[in-house]
Amino acid sequence: MEKKLAMVIDSFACIDCKACQAACKEANKVPKGQWRNWIKTPDVEAVAKNGKRMLFQPGNCMQCEKPTCVEACPTGATYKDPLDGTVRIDRRLCIGCGQCLPACPYGARYRHPELKVADKCDFCAERRSNGLEPACVSTCPNKARVFGDLNDSGSMVRKLLETGNAVQIVNNKSNTDPHIYYLGDPGAKDWPVKAQMPSAFAFWKNLAGPVMKGFVGLSALGVGAMLVKQFMMPNDTPNKKDEGGNKDA
Amino acid sequence: MHNRMIKRHDQPSILIHWFNAACWFFLLATGLGLISNPALQPIVQWWPKLMRDLFGGGAALLKVHIIVGVVWAGIWLIFIIAGIARYTLPFLKQIMTYKLPRDIQWMIKKNIQMTLGYKNMARMVKLLGWNGEIPDQGFYNAGQKAAAVGMIAGAVVLVVTGVIMAISKVYLSSAQTPLVQWSITIHYMAAAVTFGILLIHIYMAAISSEERPAFISMFTGEVPEEYARHHHKLWYEKVDI
Repeated sequence: MEKKLAMVIDSFACIDCKACQAACKEANKVPKGQWRNWIKTPDVEAVAKNGKRMLFQPGNCMQCEKPTCVEACPTGATYKDPLDGTVRIDRRLCIGCGQCLPACPYGARYRHPELKVADKCDFCAERRSNGLEPACVSTCPNKARVFGDLNDSGSMVRKLLETGNAVQIVNNKSNTDPHIYYLGDPGAKDWPVKAQMPSAFAFWKNLAGPVMKGFVGLSALGVGAMLVKQFMMPNDTPNKKDEGGNKDA
Repeated sequence: MHNRMIKRHDQPSILIHWFNAACWFFLLATGLGLISNPALQPIVQWWPKLMRDLFGGGAALLKVHIIVGVVWAGIWLIFIIAGIARYTLPFLKQIMTYKLPRDIQWMIKKNIQMTLGYKNMARMVKLLGWNGEIPDQGFYNAGQKAAAVGMIAGAVVLVVTGVIMAISKVYLSSAQTPLVQWSITIHYMAAAVTFGILLIHIYMAAISSEERPAFISMFTGEVPEEYARHHHKLWYEKVDI
């Protein structure tokens, strides 16, 4: 049975030390100025004003069940791995058009400045293939990040989810069913950014696609009509007076 | 009448035609195979899968699509430049020269005749005050000329957008990605338009009995005198036999 890899992150345990970000950069050779993961910190002023506390909210690609980035890719260069449920990028098929970037509500994707293809967290696919956990998970000093297979009933992530305390942080208008769950007090459950389909993609899907199908359909209809006529009137010839054509038209 | 054969196409024209046709089908098949997104795939979802299985994955499919595209455009570029005086300019002049009243009448009458027959056509165009005679045409008829303009325009758009997509990963920055995104959409649209024209072209050439001699001439280079006189009279009258 295939896996459904996920993370459960405990905001209580996170101390915003950024070790996960450093470990990720190191493990995945993430270029300068770019990050595959992040820690969202509370708005200090807001916390001071209303006294409502919020803890740190570490994140990375959520390996969503319904990934809008995959929906925005024309070629399947970004796809959901059927074996482990992670969202992956085929760097050789990707041409770096960047349509998946705004399609991710979490901003998990960036265009790699040297490779010029989309890049993001893949739960450390390379480390996993060597039997290791993702770098951010291994390195976290407080073990705020728990990683595992939701389809494995004995896994820690499954047990944590079964407590009923874990929440997803999603945008209500574009719920992608993310596979990162939060414990503790990660802040508002409503993610402020909505997934955006790029205009060129939306134009293709909603207008150019149907119009072009209509055009080719009309052409095929014309061919069909000519074909029917060819069978119905096999001896269709001009009137005798037309023989020789009409030069004065 | 003695039905002699008249030279219509020379060897290079025939070769580039079939080279073009082969590339066009290959690029159409592989291009459709690259669209695996179910929201965009216009035909069937198993086609991208079949193409990827055939070529060993999506990345290999993309590579072979680009290589054949470059070879196709490259050979054409050489042909266009090397044949500028002999082929390119005369061809462009031919397909862009329209005698408007005659060609519009031809377009309307021929379309009706091809679908409803001569008698119905004659009856219908009477309403426009025209007789039932189809106006004489030159080396290319009005339909062929319009199709050629459409195919060339489509090919230019396909090449330009194709090049933009192919260099995206090499030269283009993040700020230039909207150009790549629109190139993908426009590439698809140009391919669809040319495919629509191609359907008519293939019907005329390979299926229509009227144009059978033209199809054969795409191999032999020659058409029967009677065919030339009937279908391309203005050209026929200028040819030395």
